[in-house]
Amino acid sequence: MRTITLSVNGEDLTVTVEPRESLADVLRERLDLTGTHLGCEHGVCGACTIEVDGKATRACLILAVMAEGRRITTIEGLRDDPVAAVLRRHFHEQHALQCGFCTPGMLIMARDLLNRSTPSSEKDVREGLAGQMCRCTGYAGIVRAVLAAADETTSTRSPTP
Amino acid sequence: MVEHAGGWIGASLLRKEDARHLLGAGAFVADLKLRGLRDVAFVRSDVAHGVLTAVHKPDDAATRVFTAEDLAWVNVLEAGPELAAFRSGPYPPFASGKVRYVGQPVAACVAQNRAHAEDLAERVSVEIDALPAVIDCVDALAPDAARLFDGWPDNAFITSRVTEGDPASLAAAPIRLHRRLRMNRQATVSLECRGIVAHYDARLDELVIHLSTQGPHVMRRGFAMALGLPEHKIRVIAPDVGGGFGGKNRMMPEELAIAAIAMKVPYPVRWIEDRREHLIASVHAREHVYDLTISADTSGVLLGIEGDVFVDAGAYALWPSGPFMETSMAARNLPGPYRIRHLDIRTHTVATNKAPLGPYRGVGRPGACFAIERLVDEVAHALGREPIDIRRLNMVTSAELPYDTAGGLRFDTGDYPAALETAIERIGFSAVRARQKTGEPDGRVIGVGIAFYSEQSGHGMAEWTKRKSRVVPGYESARVRMLPDGSVVIHVGVQNHGQGHETSLAQIAAHELGLDPDRISIRYGDTATAPFGFGTFASRSIVFSGGAVARSCRMIVEKLRLIGAHLLQATPDAVRIEHGRVLSATGSVSFAEIAAAASIRQELLPDGVEPLLEVVSTYEPTDSRGVFSYGTHAAVVAVEPETGEVEILDYVVAEDCGTMINPLIVDGQIQGGIAQGIGTALYEEIPFSDLGQPLATTFADYMVPGASEIPAVDIAHACTPALVTEYGVKGMGEGGAIAPPAALANAIADAFRDIGVRIDETPLTPRRVSDAVAAARSAHAAQPSEAAS
Repeated sequence: MRTITLSVNGEDLTVTVEPRESLADVLRERLDLTGTHLGCEHGVCGACTIEVDGKATRACLILAVMAEGRRITTIEGLRDDPVAAVLRRHFHEQHALQCGFCTPGMLIMARDLLNRSTPSSEKDVREGLAGQMCRCTGYAGIVRAVLAAADETTSTRSPTP
Repeated sequence: MVEHAGGWIGASLLRKEDARHLLGAGAFVADLKLRGLRDVAFVRSDVAHGVLTAVHKPDDAATRVFTAEDLAWVNVLEAGPELAAFRSGPYPPFASGKVRYVGQPVAACVAQNRAHAEDLAERVSVEIDALPAVIDCVDALAPDAARLFDGWPDNAFITSRVTEGDPASLAAAPIRLHRRLRMNRQATVSLECRGIVAHYDARLDELVIHLSTQGPHVMRRGFAMALGLPEHKIRVIAPDVGGGFGGKNRMMPEELAIAAIAMKVPYPVRWIEDRREHLIASVHAREHVYDLTISADTSGVLLGIEGDVFVDAGAYALWPSGPFMETSMAARNLPGPYRIRHLDIRTHTVATNKAPLGPYRGVGRPGACFAIERLVDEVAHALGREPIDIRRLNMVTSAELPYDTAGGLRFDTGDYPAALETAIERIGFSAVRARQKTGEPDGRVIGVGIAFYSEQSGHGMAEWTKRKSRVVPGYESARVRMLPDGSVVIHVGVQNHGQGHETSLAQIAAHELGLDPDRISIRYGDTATAPFGFGTFASRSIVFSGGAVARSCRMIVEKLRLIGAHLLQATPDAVRIEHGRVLSATGSVSFAEIAAAASIRQELLPDGVEPLLEVVSTYEPTDSRGVFSYGTHAAVVAVEPETGEVEILDYVVAEDCGTMINPLIVDGQIQGGIAQGIGTALYEEIPFSDLGQPLATTFADYMVPGASEIPAVDIAHACTPALVTEYGVKGMGEGGAIAPPAALANAIADAFRDIGVRIDETPLTPRRVSDAVAAARSAHAAQPSEAAS
């Protein structure tokens, strides 16, 4: 067992883990942060997407010991995040979720997309979300929601003169 | 919330269930944490077919390993239709005697967490003497094929026949086209895999099972029979369920094993299926082979279909229904919407050394639709006609409805040709034909394809007894409870796992009660609180559960009227109900006041009226043969002929599902269903090696379409209300998944119609498409005049 310290949603935590444990398992099983979902555990479906040091990352693909000293943000840490709030509203209005299992990972990746650049076209959004699997919606509502959120956050960030 | 101009029925109300999921605060089975919880990993057969000679537990952990011997007390459930001709081998939780598919559970290992359970599983040694694997469902019927079950005369669960009209007359038909079509095997792929947490609650003396399921009540019945417990000692709770699509509606060996183990150990046990387990050992789907001859006259009138339908059902029949429904629905839907009056279809539901087949969105019909709609295009091609003209010529018109098909279905209401014409117009059919003449600058080839589907829904007793189903889901139930403050909790027996029932059923209740949906909670997924119901499948929830909610609400309204009138000193026929109040000519009283009287101030009640506002009722449509949603899908594709890569340029649906309760949710179901249909059409497949090894075991080799592959679908609605349901609703959850394989295959074939390409197998992977194009090109080069005809 190894004891590691990491920042999770703004709080410094010390947790004892097995070296082989994935960060996703530690978040879910040891820290009770169950909003990080596991859909494949081999890095394809994107349900477990979180932020590590501000970058969208698959929580199933990194070991918890590799997160020593890192800044982790999960969906639970984005309750008051302004970009996430805009995305949530548009996801709701555009019927961008059905069963809800992919939703936390989808939101984190969409937020990452908006924070990195402003997707200007549907194609940008689709490519940006290509690593996030949704089995229910057929993506149309998700794409609409992210485009609408991009519109809104852009106009907030750089108001037209 | 803002009320729709026409009331709550038909309002695109935003969903009540969104908020928790958007916060990551949903509660799925794997999120549940019970004190002392231990995890289970299964030891599975790595051989497709063999004699299981020994399972050795590690000496130091024997009490934490469970094998067939330890669960010998579990009763084997008899599965499949109640038909004498249906054969079924026993399917215990752990393989016993023989293993019959790769992934079949052999033992369960319990440990403090999953990783440790897997460590233990690696130390269990399993000895299997391999036998020849039965892999192809057609070859499986050869007299010399290896047998899965000793004592069966062949490997068929059941061989049956659908005949209608005078098929012998077809021999003389001027056009007779024989085609062999194949829809390959796939998984259902809910994004949340299966999962179960079970423990014995000593205080309540009951087994508590948290299960990711589409039907907790029916599953409780299965658990009770298998475990020998009375049903009152089992509570099944389905929390948030991360997708089902049919794959979470059968009794599965892992789930039975976990429940059985929970009865023997003093701690909760949990199994969360991983994706590899899901792909190799969860419910498998489809794998149909069609060997058909379609007959037509020279004017293009379709006359009949003869031949064989094979369904590869895997090794076992899953409780309750088994695999025959897949085959019979495929056969019965073969005539499609056409006036095809002669039918002679032999069906073969075949056991092979693969994971058992179960239902998946569309059940049977995606294959049938693919077969008939491909055949229609082939007839058109043979006659040198436009496929849309052959459809126009043969399609049942609204004047002919209700129409009894040769497959024994009774189409109820609608206008099928109108859906065809709308799709033709919306896809810009003639513009595509013009564009095809000019060619594409990038060398790709454009094709346009059409496919019609119908979707039986809301079928009750008449249909399920005809299918000899051992569970007859002929009704649904709703318990409506108005609390002392006038707010309402409704418990239903269906299970919401993405369908938006918390919203759409609340709209129905709001409509009936004259309340805002905010004042109404929909609850489900707990056998301890919900009245018995069958769950969510077969596009049944809005018809059955919606009807039950409406009926129970109306009974509550009558009681509100009675008490309200009394409080207003008026007669019940002199009051009306509006916006949560009972109104007389002179005054009004709120539901809250009435509910308080009914609950805590019974001295205010009229004589002879019992306290409480609580009603349970059941509902079945007045005609239980089913109501049919339908529609036409049209797709334009661009195909790269050398690589076989297919891009969907445009996708249109013109559909009619009767009255829509919530159009936003309807559109979401259509778009989502089509995404799955596109998966079937172009991407998803579990191939097997000759030894019966599944070759798609991760998402790296099982292709689930992503945002880049699925277009936004253009949806056109018509609305022909059903005559026999509440509000005229029809179920519509599956239709989106039915037609895409047919529409896309037709579009790809259309792109290369000049060289007579054969498109006859899904998924249409780049390899299959490029091979088909290459084969057609060389045949065309060899015999240009014939191939062009």
